[in-house]
Amino acid sequence: MHDASTPAARPIPAAAGIGLRAPHLPRVLAERPRVPWFEMHSENFFGAGGAIHDALERVRADYPLSLHGVGLSLGSADALDGDHLLTLRALVRRYQPALVSDHICWGAIGGIHLNDLLPLPFTTEALDLMVSRVQQVQDALGREFLVENVSSYLTFRNAEMSEWEFVAELVRRAGCGLLLDVNNVHVNSVNHGFDAHAYLRAMPVAAVREIHLAGFTRKSDLAVPLLIDSHSRPVDAAVWALYGEALDRFGPVPTLIEWDQDLPELEVLLAEAGRAEALLDVRRTRAA
Amino acid sequence: MSAAPALRELQRGFADAVLGRGDDAARWVVGAGLAPAARLQVYANTSAGTQIDALRGTYPAVLALVGEDFFEAAAARYRLLHPSTHGNLQDFGGAFAEFLAAMPEAAALAYLPDVAHLEWLRQEAALAADATPLDAVAPVALDAGGPVRLILHPSLRLLASAYPVLTIWRYATAPASGRLQLEGRGEQVVLWRDGSDVALAATDAASHACIAALAGGRDLDAAHADALAADAHFDLAACLRSLIAQGLVVAFTQTGECTP
Repeated sequence: MHDASTPAARPIPAAAGIGLRAPHLPRVLAERPRVPWFEMHSENFFGAGGAIHDALERVRADYPLSLHGVGLSLGSADALDGDHLLTLRALVRRYQPALVSDHICWGAIGGIHLNDLLPLPFTTEALDLMVSRVQQVQDALGREFLVENVSSYLTFRNAEMSEWEFVAELVRRAGCGLLLDVNNVHVNSVNHGFDAHAYLRAMPVAAVREIHLAGFTRKSDLAVPLLIDSHSRPVDAAVWALYGEALDRFGPVPTLIEWDQDLPELEVLLAEAGRAEALLDVRRTRAA
Repeated sequence: MSAAPALRELQRGFADAVLGRGDDAARWVVGAGLAPAARLQVYANTSAGTQIDALRGTYPAVLALVGEDFFEAAAARYRLLHPSTHGNLQDFGGAFAEFLAAMPEAAALAYLPDVAHLEWLRQEAALAADATPLDAVAPVALDAGGPVRLILHPSLRLLASAYPVLTIWRYATAPASGRLQLEGRGEQVVLWRDGSDVALAATDAASHACIAALAGGRDLDAAHADALAADAHFDLAACLRSLIAQGLVVAFTQTGECTP
């Protein structure tokens, strides 16, 4: 029905898009704001039908689209949830998004889902597992898949490598794309005391397909600083600086503003995207 | 220091910590200025927050009826007793009605489980598959002689309650509508997707029996008999006209006696 008639996806431009959340959908559909592209959460469309699918049809008709998952639980010692993967495959076939992604994390074990982006131990066992899982997903979808680095609030004693080594090696061995969340690099550099610049330098330049930016909150009642990836605030000044550095290294990459908790008016997100756009513009001019 | 755990062991221990079943996983966590258990607790909080928010979104009437504190406590207990089994949160919370029915603190609100059940059906209706309704004016040819069955819209859901569950739901979701006047009679509710909304309508017991039989795959004669048992004056034609007018009939089928 949809498969045959769906035109090929429009590519995501090297411009600043917005994570589109349900409360903003009516305005976006009614007003068609000038936004270079949108990203939406894959699982919101896992239902078989209904108004949300009509909305997605209309968004994708007017804007380049990326589908970003939060529930695949790639790094779980459990097998991948076959139904979840099949539903994702059907969704990708139906809407032909330009990018498809999920996270370098786990969220379920023993069939119980915690519905969170949980940290992996940076071990060869976890790396081998992630490589095979990403390959399984790319085989199932028949296309490139992007993996995103997550914020974390702890590290494990049995780590055998750094986070940046783990991420870079995963992307290299799985042959997938990287969705680099610059906010998560900053958050983890504070939480775990590493050099965010060294992290960026370790990322494979040619694999970076997309950048995420978001705001964090700071837990003030603890003995050490702990930043929480809350997606509830404007992008922090330190993250803007790191983003500029990332653009210098990776070139003008499609960039997304994410905001989930305490979602403000669309204008606030548009202003954040405008700020990213200004930084992108400098690099585009330089590249031209 | 303990031996390095295998990934499965580490994840099982971590999940136990997130679900409040013990902090054994703390021994694998780098403290770096904090108690390892406190770091695990951050994840217990974020996981609980996400799952409780999902229940809040699915059960707005239950939330309005019991208040924020009660709801949060109930939801926090629910996620431990009925853990999520999907990476998609739209599938989380299907046993909330059953959980509330067994919750001693909710016993005084006897109608609460049915309100929760109604809200779950409402979510199911919103997400159900699409289907093209039968054209209301096109003639239907039925001449094969066998029993006639109806294929109803995939979003159709039914609930029969001993309480005025729809009246309570409407009051809870739009309390500005004034004082709640309850006559104490039970209500039968039909739910279906109507455009971008889910429609909820109270119906009489005989129509409910008829639609429930049809939705369960029984043939028209059997559905008619069920309805007549509830009300000897039941009007089958009127009931079918109403279903067709609402776009709830996808097709009539007629086959031999040995259809499934």
